Amino acid sequence: MSLIEMRDIKKDYLLGGTSVHALRGVDLSIDKGEFIAIWGPSGSGKTTLLNLIGAIDEPSSGQLFVEGQEVVRLSDNMRAELRNRAIGFIFQGFNLIPVLSALENVMLPLQIKGTSSSEARDNALSRLDEVGLSAFVHHRPDKLSGGQQQRVAIARALVTDPFIVIADEPTANLDSETSHKIIGLMRDLNEKEKTTFIFSTHDQRLLGQVERLVRLEDGKIVGGGDKKNEKMDNDSTSQHTEK
Amino acid sequence: MKKWITIALRNILKNRRRSFVTLLAIAMGFAAVSLFRGYINNTYQGLRQSAIRGEGLGHLTIYKKGWLEKGKIDPDRYMFSQEEIQRIIDIVEEDDDVILATPQIHISGLVSNGHISTIFLAKGVKPSDDKTIKGAWAAFRPVKGNALSKKKPYGVEMAEDLAKHLNLKPGTDGVVMASTLDGQMNALDIEVAGIYDTGSDATNDKYMRFPFAYAQSLYDTEKADRLVVLLDSWEKTECARNRLLSALSKAGLQCEIKTWNELSLFYSKVKGMFDMIFMFIFIIVFIIVVMSVVNTMGMAVLERTREIGTLRAFGLKRRGVSLLFAIEGALLGFLGSILGLVLNVVVWAVIRAIEPSYIPPGVSTSVPLIVNLVPRAMLSLMVFLILLSLVAAILPARRAARLNVVDALGHV
Repeated sequence: MSLIEMRDIKKDYLLGGTSVHALRGVDLSIDKGEFIAIWGPSGSGKTTLLNLIGAIDEPSSGQLFVEGQEVVRLSDNMRAELRNRAIGFIFQGFNLIPVLSALENVMLPLQIKGTSSSEARDNALSRLDEVGLSAFVHHRPDKLSGGQQQRVAIARALVTDPFIVIADEPTANLDSETSHKIIGLMRDLNEKEKTTFIFSTHDQRLLGQVERLVRLEDGKIVGGGDKKNEKMDNDSTSQHTEK
Repeated sequence: MKKWITIALRNILKNRRRSFVTLLAIAMGFAAVSLFRGYINNTYQGLRQSAIRGEGLGHLTIYKKGWLEKGKIDPDRYMFSQEEIQRIIDIVEEDDDVILATPQIHISGLVSNGHISTIFLAKGVKPSDDKTIKGAWAAFRPVKGNALSKKKPYGVEMAEDLAKHLNLKPGTDGVVMASTLDGQMNALDIEVAGIYDTGSDATNDKYMRFPFAYAQSLYDTEKADRLVVLLDSWEKTECARNRLLSALSKAGLQCEIKTWNELSLFYSKVKGMFDMIFMFIFIIVFIIVVMSVVNTMGMAVLERTREIGTLRAFGLKRRGVSLLFAIEGALLGFLGSILGLVLNVVVWAVIRAIEPSYIPPGVSTSVPLIVNLVPRAMLSLMVFLILLSLVAAILPARRAARLNVVDALGHV
């Protein structure tokens, strides 16, 4: 079984009394070490798909397996443990804890896990070094630039050595140059550590750096869901991008 | 745990203004309750001394069984004979906590200066034992003239207002009249040895103190209606009562024993009133603290919804979120109590420096306003406020813990 396995996943929301179909039967499998972009227009269901993969949401129907475990069968505490152990998150708005320094933010997932302070500190320092922020470990988020904050968020997502890192629009709040650097950094870490990266974006300029592109439209995968079609999908995206 | 305390503390410091208002509410509550507790502690202390030493009630009073119910109707039957008095003294004074046991007789009648008469209530006491019971109290309310003495068996002490009404001064003579236990009228000459202030308007125009034997002779009896027992500490009162009651019962003496606080109506009433006021203040503080903490923590949950979502996404369990906010509430309680403690000590020091005084209702002289520092009560109050703040924070904390992770992350 793949690292992530989605079978006929549907997700409906109630919005002001009206049922909204965010995902309309998604089949997707993702293997360890992949570097995937979920691409599509606003409202296509990218965030919903990532939330389901990240085990912070439940599908309305269908089957979702993360690391071979069916997420809907897990209790809230078991899902929390799964997220802490196997999944890292990078958010569009960085979501760093404002009262903690860069180092303390990165230590946090390990401390939730119950790792000793000294071990958490060593691991966090090492991760911050990898993302090039050794000189900023004691800075609080409000003293860091957007790019630096997102690097802290990447270090935080990776500090527990997760199998999967989920990034929902990680570059949306960054300028173009920083966005490329952030995606490049994620790509380097993916190649070096074989951690699966799944990120959503609607920025076509970043798509050239991904090895697999999943295209979503109106809650359905219209390309890249099946790995066999991966190259064709990427080629079509390239043509699309060139226009 | 240290990490969560750090986060909680930093969040308190981050929202300085809001936290300060909450801390101030807790601090004011702490100081109000603690200062009032200190005031009534001192008042109880004074009233206790006044009852045990001033009124001469001692710690325990032993009556023959039935005296309290029927003693007024048939006093002779329910009074202790000489032999019983001696036996009781022997048994009671064997107890390690007892300083002395002394017989007394309470009498009433008319006192006259030769021209006018008025009623009096008096205690017949053994002068040396009375001196022991009064102890340091004697210096607080000294007798003008001479105290009771064995050397002058007809010398009596008279309350200030009674002496004033009768125009009697130390060294002047008067006559007391009363019915004997057999119902015959009896009259004895007295000399006012000394004049004293009872401390109460209600008794200052009636009370007298007689030497025990002279009071007995006015009632034409050799009996006593009670024995007063002085202990080495008021805190042992209840234990000593049970012990002595059992010892007397074993010796075949059927007695009743009342404690000083049961006999001092004034103490009981004042204590009842102050306890009620204390409870009232306490409830107000309770409500203020709960509402302040619930409001502050509710705002904190609202502002930090995305933070909660992020922590949950990284694997923090629901109870971890509850714990985080509960710690913050408890920290508010702790810091507020510390601030309250400082406020309490400052006000206490100011009161000590100014030394204000006032005349309480029913009291004949002004008394100083003294507030005690009661460390044990302060510590209990601090623990209580910390727990209260923690519990008050649980409500918003539970709301935070129940938040859906996706909704929390999407919160703006």
